[in-house]
Amino acid sequence: MTVHIRIPMPLRGYTAGADEVQVSAATVGEALAALGAAHDGILGRILSAEGEVRQFVNIYLGNRNVRTLGGLATPVAADDVISIVPAVAGGAPTAKDARLAQLKATVPELMPQQALALQAQGAALVDVREADEIAQGSPPGAYRLGRGYLELRIEEAVPDMNRTVVTMCNGGVRSLFAAEDLQRLGYRNVHSMAGGFSRWKNEGLPVEIPRQLDRQARERYSRHLLMPEVGEAGQLKLLESRVLLIGAGGLGSPAALYLAAAGVGTLGLVDHDVVDRSNLQRQILHTDARVGTSKVASARQSLEALNPGVKVQSHEARLTSANVEQTFSGYDLVVDGSDNFPTRYLVNDACVKLGLPDIYGAVYRFEGQVSVFWPGYPQRRGPCYRCLYSEPPPPEFAPSCAEAGVLGVLPGVIGLLQATEAIKILLKLGDPLVGRLLLYDALRADFHELAVAPNPACRYCGTPGSVPDYVDYEHFCASTTA
Amino acid sequence: MSVLYLPEPLRTRIASWVSAGYPLETCGLLIGRQNGAGVTVSETIAARNLNRERAQDRFELDPEAFIEADRQARDAGLELVGVWHSHPDHPPRPSATDRSFAWEGWSYLILSVDSKGVEDMRSWRLADDDFVEEAILP
Repeated sequence: MTVHIRIPMPLRGYTAGADEVQVSAATVGEALAALGAAHDGILGRILSAEGEVRQFVNIYLGNRNVRTLGGLATPVAADDVISIVPAVAGGAPTAKDARLAQLKATVPELMPQQALALQAQGAALVDVREADEIAQGSPPGAYRLGRGYLELRIEEAVPDMNRTVVTMCNGGVRSLFAAEDLQRLGYRNVHSMAGGFSRWKNEGLPVEIPRQLDRQARERYSRHLLMPEVGEAGQLKLLESRVLLIGAGGLGSPAALYLAAAGVGTLGLVDHDVVDRSNLQRQILHTDARVGTSKVASARQSLEALNPGVKVQSHEARLTSANVEQTFSGYDLVVDGSDNFPTRYLVNDACVKLGLPDIYGAVYRFEGQVSVFWPGYPQRRGPCYRCLYSEPPPPEFAPSCAEAGVLGVLPGVIGLLQATEAIKILLKLGDPLVGRLLLYDALRADFHELAVAPNPACRYCGTPGSVPDYVDYEHFCASTTA
Repeated sequence: MSVLYLPEPLRTRIASWVSAGYPLETCGLLIGRQNGAGVTVSETIAARNLNRERAQDRFELDPEAFIEADRQARDAGLELVGVWHSHPDHPPRPSATDRSFAWEGWSYLILSVDSKGVEDMRSWRLADDDFVEEAILP
């Protein structure tokens, strides 16, 4: 039977332009096979490899879709008309496409070269990529804030809403979203870098591999990383920091443990003593099994067990005028947990001379005190220990723990206040106890603060750069009278 | 650049269908003649959009309308030369969906429409898997 197959224009390339082809067939399938035999290639556009009618095509017999009849087996009669009907479909852009078009209309874009030029003129380049992408490289000087916490962190990095900001990601799409968010926050001059970091790199612009925490460190310090005040930059700062603890005893124990836990990269320990069983009531770095061994060695064992990433430096010696400067050299600050006046004066004098913050703590029975002696504190001139006590008290007014006793938990409280001040100073956070003496009375459960003004006539810190030489501290402390 | 000759009355007619259909996507066919100079449209057909679930951003032209338009064209000694459809609240550029359903040899007229009416119209032809814009002249 002869049937007519109507060819739509898009398929007429196969039929030499003919809009209709006549074939002889008994079914629709046979008719299409005959069409394919006569016009090479056309069948591939109509049927799949399995011989099914393609998704984008409909075959009509007269005005009925053969799918609703017997499919390709549908019989045909003479002069039937078979129509190949291309699916005609389409649609508006996806929500994503539409949103991007909208963003491109509101966020000015610029090329990496222009971004670099703007950065050189003081613009903030904000890298919003994920940490693992940034680890592969990032433009030098870029703020690596990521996308997830961008809104929470941007103000700290870029407090000035009038400063030009250029957002960048890897391809230039995420940075559009980020730029719009920054516009909404109130930044007035925000651009997105078209092509992102991949174009930046392809154009040969400067790239650096930023220092980053590894996966383990990220896990260990995750609670710090969640706080924008610490964050990755702060944690890296802690890991690069060096803190010297004078004494691995009552104050030094809690301070050292928490500083190690916090990830202070290098902890120096100065102590010449051995562990005594009577220490264990408060000196939690040590253990019963280590009674009789060196305190510094015992402390190192505990600290390394807590955080193997921390480097513990042993200074197993009595601190003296002769070795103090060499011992202190290279440290960022000193946590003084000493229990005697000669050492306290020596630590103070050396800290004043070297410009180091001296985080002071002392305990007596139920009371403790803590302060930061740091004449060189950039925000305000602070006093030194000698501004507070120019001379040591007579020995009978200042009994040691060995003589007067101490509540075991009390050095825990004071040592941790010292550790807190250390972290604050290292991260430049908050207001340190500079010029403030914090007193703690455990029985009354009372904290009390005294202002300590620097003494302009202090021989030690009154005139910067003219610290008297170290003295014989044992003699100095023994010879003073009330 | 090829040319789509679309006389003013036909243009107005499609625009009125598109506006009346807003915010749904509307579609139809172009009947005319193709020659070396381009495509001349002499009749326009409106068709049902079979995609009811996503009628605001998808269209699927009723194949029966296609058969009918094809018959009408042949009777007049003309042919189907293209497809028109609207992009409600979006620019008249082919979407990825448009590209995946497009056939070579036809003109694809896209009209962007919003609540105020038709904003812009552009015509495109598929060449090597990419849409190339063609001029629209009266």
